[in-house]
Amino acid sequence: MRVVTRRRFGWPDLLFGGFLIVAAAGTLVATRNLVGGTAADMGPAYMPRAIALVLLAFGVFFAVRGVLRGPVGIETVQLRPILGVGAAVGVFALLIESGGLALASFAAILIAAVASRESRFFEVILFGLGVTAAAVLLFVKALALPVSIWPW
Amino acid sequence: MELFDNLLLGLSTALQLNNLIYCLIGVVIGTAIGVLPGIGPIPTVALLLPFTFGLAPASALIMLAGIFYGAQYGGSTTAILVNVPGETSSVVTCLDGHEMAKRGRAGPALAIAAISSFFAGTVATVVIAVLSLPLAALALKFTAVEYFSLLVLGLFAAVILAHGSVAKSLAMVFLGLLIGTVGIDVNSGVARMTFGIPALSDGLDFVPVAMGMFGLAEIIANLERPAVRQVVSQKLRDLIPSRADLRAAFPAMVRGTVIGSALGVLPGGGAALPPFTAYALEKKVAKDPSRFGKGAIEGVAGPEAANNAGAQTSFIPLLTLGIPANALMALMIGALMMQGIQPGPQVMTEQPELVWGVIASMWTGNLMLLVINLPLVGLWVSMLKIPYRLLFPAIVLFCCIGTYGISNSAFNVWLMLGCAVVGYFFIKVGVEPAPLLLGLVLGPQLEENFRRAMQLSDGDPSVFVTRPISAVLLLVVAVMLLAMLSPAVLKTRERALAE
Repeated sequence: MRVVTRRRFGWPDLLFGGFLIVAAAGTLVATRNLVGGTAADMGPAYMPRAIALVLLAFGVFFAVRGVLRGPVGIETVQLRPILGVGAAVGVFALLIESGGLALASFAAILIAAVASRESRFFEVILFGLGVTAAAVLLFVKALALPVSIWPW
Repeated sequence: MELFDNLLLGLSTALQLNNLIYCLIGVVIGTAIGVLPGIGPIPTVALLLPFTFGLAPASALIMLAGIFYGAQYGGSTTAILVNVPGETSSVVTCLDGHEMAKRGRAGPALAIAAISSFFAGTVATVVIAVLSLPLAALALKFTAVEYFSLLVLGLFAAVILAHGSVAKSLAMVFLGLLIGTVGIDVNSGVARMTFGIPALSDGLDFVPVAMGMFGLAEIIANLERPAVRQVVSQKLRDLIPSRADLRAAFPAMVRGTVIGSALGVLPGGGAALPPFTAYALEKKVAKDPSRFGKGAIEGVAGPEAANNAGAQTSFIPLLTLGIPANALMALMIGALMMQGIQPGPQVMTEQPELVWGVIASMWTGNLMLLVINLPLVGLWVSMLKIPYRLLFPAIVLFCCIGTYGISNSAFNVWLMLGCAVVGYFFIKVGVEPAPLLLGLVLGPQLEENFRRAMQLSDGDPSVFVTRPISAVLLLVVAVMLLAMLSPAVLKTRERALAE
C-alpha cells in the first residue's frame, strides 16, 4: 500500500478531494428520481442536491490544490490493525444474532487481538473469557440488553 | 430571586438518591476513561447512550455530563504521572505537571490539579446558572429564520475555533449535513438515499458513526504507532500542597477559571482551547517566565481550572439554545432526542427540573470527583498498568455491543465498521471528524428550519438578512470567515492551536 507516496502530489488533499467528489456524485445519482422543487416549496431532493453541489466544489478545490501543491505523502497504511479490528467487528455482526452474545464477544476479542503485534496467545484466551463473562453479566444481566447469550 | 429558586429546584433534583448514584457512575467512568489514554469521552458517551433509554431524562443527562467533566479530571492524572495526555485538554498539563512529578512533587501537582478543577467547576456552575436565564429569554423570540441563522453560526464558529484546517472542517460539516439528510423526508414522506435499506429510513444513527470514527478509527491508528508508556514510580506522599503552593496557585486558578468560562461558551469551545490560552496567559503575567516548563505550579493550576470551567460552560449553548458547542455536546443533543425532547430554547421553560438538575449535578459531581481523585489516586494510577494490547480488544467489543444495543440491529454494527474505515481514511489524510458529527446531528434541524423559513418568505432568501437578530448572527459568521482570510489572524490561530 506504499503506492500513494510515490508521486509528487499533495496526496492528503488529493485523496480527500476525490472522496468528496465521489460522495457528491453519488448523492446526485441517488437522488436523480426525487422531486427537487423550488426554494419556496422544496422537494425531498432540494437540500441533498444543494449540499452535494457545495461538496463538489470543495472536492474540486482540494483535488486541484492537491495536484498543484506537493509533495506531501501519506503515512504508510499498515494492514494488520485495520484488518484485525475490521474483521473482529464484522464477525461480531455476523455472529450476534445467530450465535449469541457469548460466542460473538469471545470471537471478537480473539480476532481483534490479532491486530496488535504484541498480543500473546494464552493471555488473550484467558482475557477473552474474562471479558466475555463480564460483558454478559454487564449487558444482559445488569443492563437487560435483549439478546440471547448462547447459540441454542 | 428566580435564580435561587431555579438552583434550589436543580439541587432538589440532583440530590435525589438515584440521581446522585447516576452522577457517581458518570464521574467514575469519566475518570477511568480520562486516565486511560486511547479512549476518550466521545465514544464512551456514544457507547452508553443506548442504555440511558430507560432512565428519566434528567438522570440520563446527569450521568453523561458526569462522564465528560470527569474525563477532564482523569486526564490530568495521566498527564502529570506519565507525561501522556489522557485527554487532549490535558496536553498543557503535561508541561509543568510532569516536570513537578519528576522533581518528586507529584503529590502537590495532583492535588493542585484537582483543587483547581474543583474550584473552576464550582464557579462554572454558577456562571451557567446566571447566564442561562437571559439567553433562554432571548432565544424564545426566535422563529425559524433566526434559528436557522443561529445553527449556521454555531456550525461555522465550531469549525473556526476548533483544531485543523478551516476549509477541510467546513467540507466535513457539509458532509455531515449530507449524511444527515439520509432517511425519510419528513415533509413529503419520500425515502431519500436509503438505497432500499429499511434500517436507513429513520436516518443514519449517529451513535455508530461516532463510535466508528472516534472509537475504532482511533484504535486502528494507535495500533500503527509503537506504544510507549512509563509511569513515574514514586510514592505519592504529601498530597497536601504547602501554603506557599496554594498562594502561588490561587491567582492562576482564578484567571484560568475566567478564561475557561468565557471560551467554553463559544461554539467550538469546550475543553480543548481554554487550557492553551490559560497557559499562555500565565506565562505572560509571571514575574519569571523561565520557570515555566520546569515545574511551575501556576502552569498546572491555570490550565486545569480553564479546562474544567470550559468543559462545563460549553453546556450553556446546549441547554439554552439547543445548539452544541462541540462534538460531545452534539451527542448530548442526541441523548435528549432519544428521550423524546426536542432540543431548543423551549426546553428550559418546559423541562426546568431537567435543565437545572443537570446544572446542579455538576456541582455535586465536582465534589465527588475531588473525593474520588485525591485519596484514591493510587487506584487510578494502577489502571495505567493495563497494557494497551489488552485494553483495545475490550474497547472494540464494547463498541460492538453498544452499537448493537441501540436498536438491536446488526446493521448498525456494519455501519460502524464502515464509519471506522472512513474515519481511518480521514486520519490518514489529516481531517478532523468532529465537524462531521456536528453536521450530522444538526442537519435535520437545519433543513427543517431552512425549509420553514423559505416557505414563510415565499422563497426569498433575503429574509435572513432583513430580520435584525438573524442579520446580526449572519454578520458574525461573515466577519469570522473574513477574519480567517487575513494572514495575521491565521497565524495567531495557528500558534494558539498548534502548541
